This record gives sequence, structure tokens and C-alpha cells, in this order.
Amino acid sequence: MTGQEREYTSTGVPPWKSPFAISVALHLLIAGVALAGWSWSSPVHEPPPSSISARLITQQKPEPSPVVDPVDQPDQEQERKELEKQKQAEAQKRQNEEKARKAEEQKKREEAKRKAEEQERKREQAKAEELKEKKAREAEEAARQKAEAEARERERRKAEAEAEKQRQQEAKRKAEEEKRRQEEQRKREETERKKQEERARKEAERRLQEQQLEAQAEQARKARADEAQRRERAAAAKARESQMLSESQKYQGLIRERLSQAWYPPSSATEDMTARLQITLLPTGELASVKLVASSGNTAFDNSALSAVRSLNRYPVPSERDTFETYFRQFTIEFNPRRLR
Amino acid sequence: MKQIISFSLMKATLAAVAFMFTAVTSAQAELLIRITEGADSAIPVSVVPFAENGSMPAGDKLSSIVQADLAMSGEFRPLPPEKMLSLPSKRSDVYFRDWRMLGQRYVLVGELTRNGDRVQARYELFDVNREERILGETAAAPASNIRSLAHHVSDKVYEAITGVPGAFSTKLAYVTLQRANGKALYRLQVSDIDGKRAGIRLESKEPILSPAWSPNGKKLAYVSFETGKPAIFVHQLSSGERTKVADFPGLNSAPTWSADGQSLLMTLSKDGNAEIYQMNLQSRKVTKLTNHWAIDTEAAWDSAGAGIFFTSDRSGGPQIYYMEKPGAEPRRLTFGSRYNARPRPDSAGKYVYYVHQRDRAFTIARTNLESGDETVLTRTESDESPSVSPNGRMLIYATKQNGESILTVISADGGAAYSLPASEGDVRDPAWGPIVR
Repeated sequence: MTGQEREYTSTGVPPWKSPFAISVALHLLIAGVALAGWSWSSPVHEPPPSSISARLITQQKPEPSPVVDPVDQPDQEQERKELEKQKQAEAQKRQNEEKARKAEEQKKREEAKRKAEEQERKREQAKAEELKEKKAREAEEAARQKAEAEARERERRKAEAEAEKQRQQEAKRKAEEEKRRQEEQRKREETERKKQEERARKEAERRLQEQQLEAQAEQARKARADEAQRRERAAAAKARESQMLSESQKYQGLIRERLSQAWYPPSSATEDMTARLQITLLPTGELASVKLVASSGNTAFDNSALSAVRSLNRYPVPSERDTFETYFRQFTIEFNPRRLR
Repeated sequence: MKQIISFSLMKATLAAVAFMFTAVTSAQAELLIRITEGADSAIPVSVVPFAENGSMPAGDKLSSIVQADLAMSGEFRPLPPEKMLSLPSKRSDVYFRDWRMLGQRYVLVGELTRNGDRVQARYELFDVNREERILGETAAAPASNIRSLAHHVSDKVYEAITGVPGAFSTKLAYVTLQRANGKALYRLQVSDIDGKRAGIRLESKEPILSPAWSPNGKKLAYVSFETGKPAIFVHQLSSGERTKVADFPGLNSAPTWSADGQSLLMTLSKDGNAEIYQMNLQSRKVTKLTNHWAIDTEAAWDSAGAGIFFTSDRSGGPQIYYMEKPGAEPRRLTFGSRYNARPRPDSAGKYVYYVHQRDRAFTIARTNLESGDETVLTRTESDESPSVSPNGRMLIYATKQNGESILTVISADGGAAYSLPASEGDVRDPAWGPIVR
């Protein structure tokens, strides 16, 4: 399906256009042919069915028969008239021969026969009358027949026209229907196309969205991974830190112990005295420098603290360099007696 | 540091903030070790025998006296000279490494120079760990008074190291009892705090009790039975002039001085019951400060000179009470045992020392006036008459040893004890004299 769609979209030619055009053209053609057929058919014969339209025209089979009848009729009339004429001529001839014979007879019978002749004339007259009447009747008949034929022709034409009209209407209807169908088809196709387009668009959108989502997900994954990594690092750092801390606490304890042993708080010391010293050590544990950063306010007390700090030959420090650098390179010692003797 | 570097890349407007932040974090991050306990032992100090220029008087060497003073305080642990690696007398000869190796914290070096009948001492005190001189001075004294020079040096050394004035130049007053041929002989004596250079100020066949130093250290007040009954005398030490200030009917006892030296607190029973009175020494007028059916006695001014500690048995047995001001309602301070008596406050107003009975033994105890905590300071059994050194760091009291009364000096917190050399007979009622400038 998508392949088809791709074809449509790929060709760039509106797919609906050509069939529709063809269809319309076809219908027009049919209509034209039908009309032409109507105008042509009346003289001689129907147009020979050809190509695609044949199917449509063959469906109109009943129509040719009325067309064929009127075509033969004028020929029969003429023949009949000629025969009549011949008959009339022969009858004339026979009449003339009869006359001559009768004139001879008449001569013979003249008077006698005058009555008969009168009678004959009368009869003849009546016969002529009759003939005349017959002729009139025949003419009338002919006229009637003609009128009938005409009427039939009219009828036929009318029917034909009606049929044609019907046919046209039908064609029109069909065309319309076709058109409608085509329209519908077009619409369907359009709808379908639109649907397809919509689908394609949606698909594209979906894809874009998916891509975006994918990208987002990727980003999130990456972020998560980064976060995890960061956490891991942080955890490792923390673990390291806590290890260092515990290590440092151990050495803090050792230093505290050593300094406590080395510190002789002077008798002037009171619980509220605090001397704060900043100490800098070498990695060997040797004292690099000590600085009184906060005096207790009592020189003897400060000195006792300084002396204690300086009294240690070597501070217990961790051999682990990081821990040393973090905690023991430089630190602060606070001397603050809690329990005085 | 790293933070500062990284932040330095930021705009200048942020630099100040960043620096503050850095300062805060680095301050938080930096390790802090808190030392709340000091060494239990005394401070190792080396008193190097002084170099001597010229002939010196016979007897104890100045450095030996200083050494003994410092040891007696209980706060110092002098290194015996025979353990010293060198005997420097000036800075250029002091090798700190040697003294460090010996675990010494301070080294005192100096030299004595005979200058006519005087001896001049030039001395320096070094902090071994800091490799710094913390004291340097020249002092002189009559050749006959070398002990005074030595105590002076001790005071200076003590103050330089501890931040508290030394009390080695102060005097003790005490009473000795000698029995000879069935007769008792009471002597009021005054000596250096190491018991040396004792001098008899009064001899009597009748009891002498409760000597008390005037604030300027020139007079003693005490109770003497020389008239057959207890009377209070004020004794001018320089002239030996004695004045009987209280000779009321009944009890005249337990004199102590006011801070201005103008009046005495004393116990009198002239009105029937033993009460505490204040006597103006010029007018000799007495003011009754307590009024209770029980015995109130052994009064002493607090360090501020505002309130009065005393002993009273108003609760059934003797206990220590305190009046915030004369005549105020007394407040009981001791509850730990049935017997607590003879209160003596220190000069700092932090503790009150007294005789404390527990399990039949009489010991010396002190109560922290702020917290109310009571600490028993002595392990002897018949202790009496505690008296605190003027710097509040030492305490002297009388106790029994081999059936005889002796005086013992301890550090005020109950540390090392130092017994004064026994003189003939019993020694009792010690009173620690003031620092005299």
C-alpha cells in the first residue's frame, strides 16, 4: 500500500486525473457517437459498432428494427403502383378491345343495345365510379398507409428520439452516474489519497515524533547513563571519601592521643579557654609549621598548646597520600580543657 | 585552593562571592582536632645548676631550691641534674634537640655572680619545643638571702609557664607543740613555704590557736590562752608588738581578716551563744553577724570580700554555710557527710576548702562553688586546718604521721603531696601567707 502511495507521490502526476479525463472523454465520445448515431441512423443504417462503445451501443438493440422497416417500404409501394399501372393499362386495353367489339355489336344491336349500353355505361360509370372510388380508396389507403407509415415513422422517430433521449438520458445518467461514480471514485480516491496523505503525514509525523521520542529516549538514556556514571563516580568518590574519612579518623584519634599526652595545660587554664592552632605537616609526619590562629587570651595557655604541638617529633599520619593531602597536610587543632585537675 | 583557582576564572563580579564561598567551605572542610585532656603527669622541666662567678654562701644552691619549689607545687617534674647531657648557662649553649630527646619541655639556665655582699642572678627560661626564650631576667639579693632569690626565680618561672603568679616567696605561719618534761610549749612560727627559715614569733605554755595573716602579710591574728582564757591578739611581725583585741567573756576564737585589713571576723560567745562578729580593729566595736541558737563559727570572707563562709551546726552537725552579705540568711553548702567544718575559700572564688569527715576519717575536701561538686583531696585520716596558697594552686593542711602532727602541702586539685620537714613535736594550724609585692 505504502508502495503505491510512494508511487503516487514519487511520480508527482495526480493519479486521479488521467482516469477521470479518460472517463469524461469517453462519455463525451459516447454521447457524441450516440447523437451522431441518431442523426445518421435515420437514413440508412446504424453506425457500425466499434471499439469500446460497441458494448454500450449493442445494448440498444431494439432500436434498429424500426429504422429498417421504413427503409424498405417506399420500394414496395412503387412496385405496387407500377403493377397497378400495368393492370390498369391491361384493363384499358381490354376495355378498348371490348369497346371495339361492343361497337360492332352495338352497330348490330344499337338501339337494342343502347339500353344495355346505357346500362353498361351506367355500370361502367358505376364501375369507374367504383374504380375511382377504389382508387380513392387505394389513394386513401396509400395516404392512410403513408400517414400510418409517417405516423409510425413519427412514432418510431419519436420512440427513437424518446429512446435516444432515454438513451441519452441513460447515457447522461450513466455518464452522470459514471461521473458521479468517478467523482465518488475521485472523492474516494481523493479521500483515500487524503487519508493516505493524512496517514502518510501522520506516519511522517509519527515517525518524526518517534524519531524525536527516540532522540529524547536516547538523550534520556544517555542522561541516565551519564547520571549513573556520575552516581557511580560519586559513590566511588564517596566510598573513597568515607574510607579516607575513617582512615583519617583513625589518625585523628592517634594525633589527639599523642597531643593529649604532650599537652600540659597550665594551672591558669580554665574550661572556657580555647587556643586554635593551624598545623602544616610534611608527608613524613614532621611538623612543617604551626600558627596560632586564635589565642585563648592566656599566653601560658597558648604556649602550652604550641609547645604540645611542637613536642611531637613525628605526627601519626596515613601513608596513603590522598588521605594525607585531604586531611593532614593542613589542619586545625583546638586546645580546650574539659576537665581540669 | 583548587576552588580558588577554578573560581578565579569567573567574572570579577563573582569573585568576591566565590571567595567567600571558598573561605567558608575550606573552613568547614579543614580537619579540626580538639584536645580536651592534658597530660596527667607533671610538666618535665630542667633546672640546670647555675654557673657561679665568685664565692657563694654555703648551703643549698639556688637551682636546688628552685627545683624543690617547682617539685613541691606538684605541677612540675624537674629532671635530676645527673641525667642532663650538658649544663649550659646561656642560650648559645642550649641544644634543644638534647633537651627534646630527654623529653623536657622547659629548661632554666643561668649564672650567679657575687657582687660584694650581694648575689646577682641572670637567668633564662626556654621552651624546648618552641625553641624560644620565654623568660629572661636579672635579680639580686643579699648573699645571706639566697633562698629569697631562689623563691623569686621559682615564682617567675612558675608564672612564665603556668600564667599564674608563683607563691613560693610567701610565708607560712603555724603552731608547734613541744612537750618536754611533761610541760607543753607552744610556739607560733613563721617560715618559708618549704618549711625553711622558720622563726619563732611567740612561745607560750598555753595553747596558741588559729593564726591568720593580715592581707599585707605584716600581721598575724591568733588566739592565745596565755591569760588563762582564749583571747584574740594581733601581732605585728616586724616589731613583735602584740595587741589583745578581743577578750570577751566566754569564747574568743577563729579570727580572720577582712580584705582591707581593717577588721576581723571572730567567734564570740559573750551573748551566750557562739555567734560570728565583725570587729573594727580601730574602734574595736563588734557587730553580730549571725543570730542562731546553734553554734556559728570559723568565719572567712569570700574572695570578693562580700559574703562570709562559716561553720554552723544548726542542721544538727557542723556544716558549711554561706551568707551572701553579713546578716543575710545563710545558705548551706555541704551535704556530703555529717561533718564539714572550717571553710577556707580560694582567692579566685572558685572553691571552698574544708575539713570533711567520711567513714570516721577526717579529710580535706573542696566544693566547686559554681557546680556544687565536692571533691575529697586527701587520703590521710586526721586532717585539719586547710589553708590555700594565695595563687589558689596549693593547699597546706595539718595531718598525723606516726602519731605526730605534720604539715603537708598538696596541689589544690589534690595532686602530689609534699610534707614539710618535721620539726620537733606536733605542727598544726598552718596559715598560708599572702603574696607580698
